[in-house]
This record gives sequence, C-alpha cells and structure tokens, in this order.
Amino acid sequence: MYSGINISQTDARPMYLQILEQIRARVAAGDWPPGKELPSIRALAAALNVSVITIKRAYLDLESEGVIVTRHGKGSFVADVNGLAGELTEAKLDEHLNEAAALGRQLGLSEDELAARLRRAQRNLEKK
Amino acid sequence: MNVVTRKLIAKELYVNRWFVGGGAISAVVSVLIAATSKTGFNIGALTWLTTIIATGVMLGIYGIMNERKEHSLQFVLSLPLSVGDYVLAKMLGLMACFLIVWLAGSAAAMTLVFGMQAVPDGVGPYVVLLCVFMLANFAVVLCGALHAQSEALTSAVVIITNMGVSIFMFTIGPLPGISQSMWGPTPAWNSTFWTVLGCELAVLVVAFTLPFFLAARRRDFL
Amino acid sequence: MTNHKHLSMRGVRKNYRFFTLDDLTLELEPGQVMGFVGPNGAGKSTTLRLAIGLIAPDAGEIRVLGHDIPKNQAAAKRDVGFVSAEMRLFPHATLGWHMDFMKSIYPEWDGGYAATLVKRFNLRTEQNARSLSLGEHVKATLLLALARRPKLLILDEPTTGLDPVARHEVISEFMDVLRDESRSILFSSHNTVDVERISDTIAFIDRGRIVECSNKEDFLDRWRRIQVQLPPGTALPDLPNIVHRQIDGHFVTLTTNQFSEGLQALIGPHVTGIQRMNLEEIFVANVMHHREARGQ
Repeated sequence: MYSGINISQTDARPMYLQILEQIRARVAAGDWPPGKELPSIRALAAALNVSVITIKRAYLDLESEGVIVTRHGKGSFVADVNGLAGELTEAKLDEHLNEAAALGRQLGLSEDELAARLRRAQRNLEKK
Repeated sequence: MNVVTRKLIAKELYVNRWFVGGGAISAVVSVLIAATSKTGFNIGALTWLTTIIATGVMLGIYGIMNERKEHSLQFVLSLPLSVGDYVLAKMLGLMACFLIVWLAGSAAAMTLVFGMQAVPDGVGPYVVLLCVFMLANFAVVLCGALHAQSEALTSAVVIITNMGVSIFMFTIGPLPGISQSMWGPTPAWNSTFWTVLGCELAVLVVAFTLPFFLAARRRDFL
Repeated sequence: MTNHKHLSMRGVRKNYRFFTLDDLTLELEPGQVMGFVGPNGAGKSTTLRLAIGLIAPDAGEIRVLGHDIPKNQAAAKRDVGFVSAEMRLFPHATLGWHMDFMKSIYPEWDGGYAATLVKRFNLRTEQNARSLSLGEHVKATLLLALARRPKLLILDEPTTGLDPVARHEVISEFMDVLRDESRSILFSSHNTVDVERISDTIAFIDRGRIVECSNKEDFLDRWRRIQVQLPPGTALPDLPNIVHRQIDGHFVTLTTNQFSEGLQALIGPHVTGIQRMNLEEIFVANVMHHREARGQ
C-alpha cells in the first residue's frame, strides 16, 4: 500500500515535503480515494525508514490543507470532500504558474513574452 | 545469586573447557609417570608442577586479561548485572576451572604418596603444603588480575606469583619441621606444618575476598 | 499512564586527564529516536557509557527507565540493549551459543525473531565469534540486543563496518522497533545521512558539551545557505545569527542557524539563492563556527 512512496535524501526538498507531495499526488490521481484509511504514523515511519516526527509533520500539513482528516483515536483518512482530486491538481497548477511568473520577472520577460512561451509549451504537448 | 552470575560461571567453564580438561588429564598422567621409576618420578613431578602452574597462568591471562583486551568485557557489562555480580562470577568461574585441575592433580598426588610403597609417606605434609600453596597462589593471581588496570601489571602479577612456587620449594622444603621427616615413612603433621598451612589458608581467604571489597569501591570499569 | 522518561541525564560531569564532559543534560522520551552526533573525541562514547553505568559520573544525576545509574544498573540493564562498535563477543563461542546464552538470561528473548535476523543479517549460527569480520560482529551484537526486544536501545556507532545493504537492513530493524511507541533508541553515529533520516531529535556534542539538542525538523529548518550577489558599491547590513560568511568579490555566501523570513527581508533584494543544508553540512558548519569562536 505504501511501498510506492520513496524518499530521496539527495533531493533538495525536505523529506516531509516529499512525503506530503506523494500522498497528495495519490489523492489527486484517485489512487487513494476519499475515505481511505492512511497508514498509522508509526507504521508508515517504519515502512519508509523515516523518523516518526517527519511523518507527523507531513500528516499535520496534509490535514491543514484539508487533504486528510484525523479522527482522534481512530486514525487518519483521506478527506471525503467532493472534487478534492480536482482541487489538488488546480492548486498544483497555480503553484507552477506562480513560479513561472517569478522566473519570468527574473529573466525580464514581459507578460506577452511569458504568455507566448506558455502557448509554445502547450503546442509541444499536443505534438506528442 | 543473580541468574546472570550463574550463567557467567557456566560460561567460564565452557570457554575454558580445553585448558581445564587437558590440564586435569595432564596432571593425572604426570602422576602416573611419576609412579613408574625414579627418573619417572622426577619427570612426572616436574610435569605435574608445570601443568598446575601453567593452568593458573592461562586462566589468569585468558580469563581476565584477554577479556579486557578483546573488548568482550563491554559485552558482559551490558548484561543485567552489577559490578559485584561480575566480580563474583569471574572469581567463582575461574576458581572452578582451576579447582578441577587442582583437585585432579592433588588427589592423584595424594594417592601416589600414601598409596605407593616406593614413595615415603613422610613427604605427605610437604606435598599438601605445596598443593595448598598453588591454590593460594592462584587466588592471588586472580585478585591481582581483576584489579590490575594494564596488561603489563597483570602479566607481572602472573609471572611473579609463579616464581613464588620455586621460592616456596626452596624455602619451605629446607625448613627443619618439614625436611626432617620428608623422606621418612611417617608423615609429620607438626606445628611447622600447621603454621605454614595456616598462613597459606589466610592468604587464600584474603586474596579471594579482597576483590569484593575493592569492587565495591570501583566506579569505572573501562 | 505514567510517562517515565527513558533516559534522563542532568548536570553530568566526567573528568579525564585530557578531556572533561561538562554539564551534560540529555532527555529521551519513550517512542523517540535520538541521534547523537559530534566530532571524534567530543564525548559521545563517554556519554553513552555513563548512561549504561559502565563509568560513573563525577557529578550529576543519571536515570535510565526510572532507575538510578550506576547504582541500580543491574535492574536497568534488564530492559536496555547496549551495543557499541568496539564490543566483542566471547571469541571461542559460536553465535548460536551466544543466542542460547541470551535466551537463558532474558525471558523476553524472541527466538523466532532472532532466527529471522540471522538470515536477514546474513550470519551463521555455527560460526565462532573470533572469525567474524568487523561488520559481522556488529550485526551479531545488534542481533543479540534486538531479539530481546528491549525498551531502550543505546547504540554507539551501530553502523560501523556495515556495507550499504547491511546498513539498510539494520536501519529497517531500528525503525521496526519504533512501531511500538513504548520503546526508544539513542544512537551515536558518524553517518549523518542515517541520523538525519531516522532521528526525531538530534543532540550535537562538541568538546564535552551538548551544543544543540532539538527536534530534527526544527533543526533542519533553521539552517540555510544564502547566496547574495551585491551590486557594486553596496554592502550588506548588520545581520544577526550569521554563523559563517564567505566573500568572493561581489558574491557572498552566508550560513545562518536561525533562518526566518525576517532575516531574508533584512538581507535585502540581492538574494540569488537559498539552500537548505543537510546534516553533514550543518555538522561541519557548526563545528567550524565553535572553533572560530574559541579562536582556533
């Protein structure tokens, strides 16, 4: 169930963030459907060979994002919110667009130049 | 007694089984050789003495020094026992190993002295004193080795106390109370004998109990 | 439910001729992994030996699983597994003999788990301890400690001599221990990658003193390398908490141990990059910082 989650210590992103993103991705893709019970913090820690505190942090952040809900004494579950998968993907898109805007500013591109680049990227996708 | 202490005593007997078995057999065989002829007696007596001394030295060196050197001391101390338990286990365990060889050798020697016609019974007291001396000697070796902090010191204790056997033979043998009746047919259990025996037993008791008092004060085992 | 700390060291001092361990305070809660790092000779082994009662402190209090150490060490050691990389088994006995030995002493010995570990760690029960390589010895002593399922594991450089596969196996077993929230681990290691990965708390020791002891995530969050490119004629303002400053013309690299957005704002608009640091980099920066402060 959680053997597919991988933590890389050579990745620049912190471990809790990698876990968080991989869980979010699974929820977004529908692999982890709403209502599915998440592994307990300790079980996931042992399975991934990662400290309990890191898993705790990831779960806390996922909960504050509304991706999961923790019921005291019962465990954590994928939030049963309709369209959550879609919401997550949209949040991801916004994240990337914000980054692109910042990079564009650093490179000194104008709004039109940046938009043109986006169109080029979309066309490349269609070619594939 | 702490179950760990019991197990460690058993372990001592187990790991030293070759020395102990070999030593006991060698001591008995030496006596058999001594029983054969005059030359045989000299050879046998020498090997008997050497066997018992060597067993004491080996147990002192391998039993204590090497454990420290080979870092298995840390393993033992990670077990649920206290300092006192460890000292007790070491003393009793190694003493048990030595006793097996010593009892075999002493019993064989006594049988030779009092059982064989060719050997004058008069030498009995001397042999008894010699046997008890070697036992007291080993207790001193153990006591010293348990407290010596360095290999050099432990080796020194082992060497010096074994030189003691030669010293014993050269000083006690010529004592009037002993030498007079040594080659006679009757053993002389006289005051000289009892005095020397008393001293030996006193040393034995002190050497055996001293580690427990010293251990109580010891704070660092490494 | 009483929450006894598994380990509590307060104001502990130990004097040696060339080295003093001073004012050592360390606490370990059940369910936690504490990684203990520091340069060679900083006092890691001394601390762990004090914890298990092998040496006695000159001052201070030590309690392990509620027992006074070193006075009640026999009772404490019933539930503590201590393994050090320099520890050796009885040379003329086999691993199998050692396993039986442990079984006879510890009623909680799990023979099934021990057998599994023999296979997992690639050991042989018929092998004499003296013919074991360093790595195999470490694995064997770990096996003997793990199969007892002790409440507390105190480990001094437990991954010494282990190849990457063996290290992975051993770390997995440690993490398995943590499935039980009533058990804990204190381990010292030079392997910062492992410490960073599995520790909940990191304690950093240098020259006999604990210089840092905090929650790992907070610790890693506080340290950053900040790259700044200053236009000609500008200088950096006075900045707090800069542990190291490297200047190469217009390019400045700052190392901070108290990163915050406030600090970033203070530095100004010329920041070209902010990098997190891994434990090894923090370790080196920390030690260098303390050495500079001492004037070395």
